[in-house]
Amino acid sequence: MALTASVLTLTSCSASTDNATQSLAPSADTEIVVLAAASLTQTFTEISSNFELANPGVKVTISFAGSATLAEQIKQGAPADVFASASSSAMLSVAYEIPNPKNFARNRVVIAYPSANPKNIVTSQDLNNKDLIWIQCDHQVPCGAAADKALAVDGVTAQPKSLEPDVNSVLNKLIAGEVDAAIVYLTDVFANSNLTSLEFKDKVSAATSYSIGTSSAASPAAQAFAAYVLSKSGQDVLIAAGFDAPPD
Amino acid sequence: MRHQTSNPQESSKLNPGLALLALVGFLVLALPVLALLTRVPWSSFFEIAISESVLLALEVSVATSIVSAVISVFLGVPLAWYLARGPQARTRWIRPIVIAPLVMPPTVSGIALLTLMGRNGMFGKYIYEATGFSMPFTTAAVVVSGIFVGMPFLVLVLESAFRQTPIEVEEAAATLGAPPVKVFWRISLPLAKSGLIAGAVLAWARALGEFGATLMFAGSLPGVTRTMPMAVYSAMESDQGSAFVVSAILLAVAILVVFFLRSNLIKTFAR
Repeated sequence: MALTASVLTLTSCSASTDNATQSLAPSADTEIVVLAAASLTQTFTEISSNFELANPGVKVTISFAGSATLAEQIKQGAPADVFASASSSAMLSVAYEIPNPKNFARNRVVIAYPSANPKNIVTSQDLNNKDLIWIQCDHQVPCGAAADKALAVDGVTAQPKSLEPDVNSVLNKLIAGEVDAAIVYLTDVFANSNLTSLEFKDKVSAATSYSIGTSSAASPAAQAFAAYVLSKSGQDVLIAAGFDAPPD
Repeated sequence: MRHQTSNPQESSKLNPGLALLALVGFLVLALPVLALLTRVPWSSFFEIAISESVLLALEVSVATSIVSAVISVFLGVPLAWYLARGPQARTRWIRPIVIAPLVMPPTVSGIALLTLMGRNGMFGKYIYEATGFSMPFTTAAVVVSGIFVGMPFLVLVLESAFRQTPIEVEEAAATLGAPPVKVFWRISLPLAKSGLIAGAVLAWARALGEFGATLMFAGSLPGVTRTMPMAVYSAMESDQGSAFVVSAILLAVAILVVFFLRSNLIKTFAR
């Protein structure tokens, strides 16, 4: 379905070639397809509309999902000009298709719960309480991999009630009140005023590094988008949303 | 001898244009399945099929889909009966509501179930406050999702099967002194047997394949709520061999169901 949609947009773009619009953008009237981690939903939506404003004629189409799912789609030949992954392992798995990724942000998983704290969550040990219902991402998704490591360091041995396919799915159930707590990203808590978070003891194991790269056949517009994310304009959006600057 | 196998409705003049479109239509349906089969790791099929993650998903799927189908029959038979023989002024309104889950997007079904039975749901809230039980993330939630999406199939097929029996047959039995319950058990239900079997198998198969509503309502935890379709989704990203093995098992079930249904559906509707 995503494929059909992007094909349709491509067709309509080329059909409505607007000769009047002259732009300094590397290639006007082009569409770029960005596959981005689910945890980037808000920031990348904002960054792409800023990018479109700065580059008239370039249309950015973003598909958000778990990084592992996106990496799999790329391996299966999904049309992707840019890939923004929430973990280096998902990015590494598509090293052939996306040869030169760059780190652009860091994030970390935290224990999130409703601000009113009805279950009186004070430490990560409270997750071991059998009456507390909590969930996390599935093990192969970056937010799940980071959660596994951080929970182990903190000595949480209880099992989550569900291993969800991506962080948005975890967050939706927390916001809907179906769970008492959930392991999500710090940026998710930033974006939801009704949520509060508790940090894990070991912030290093809870951390994940975001990287972005373009396909080897990517257009100049796609390369410009990746550069834009790394530029100050892109970084400002990410930092305002609670992301940390990339290492080095 | 030759004529025994030929279709009496076969036309000697097939429009080539239509035949070509028919071929394209066939390929659209057949090629993805063929592609899937080429990726199944046949040499290690058995080894993967008995691995823990696959067996756990198989166990959850088989158990929940059978319970869903049994409950769908238990509740769906009376419902189909009511729709077939009840007052039209009411069945006119009830029928679309009963059939709607059949065409509803699964995620909408999932939200609907959460809104009713979730911890903050219309009913779920009171159940949780009174007993501390909340249905999401339990195996029961998988069963309920299966009933919600599967029972409409049973009702749809069985109602038509009930209607195939001329009402005069039932009225004759009643005139001869049979009470309505006896008419139902001795006349109506036995005559609709093929429809009941076809409907039950469809309800079961639909429950077995359910994914979206279950993921939203029940979550996904191996051994508790992770069914085979969810295991496929999860393994696609980490362990493709088992994703393709489980897909092949589900495909085999689907093909068996179709062959089984062919004869039963024909019996139901071509009496």
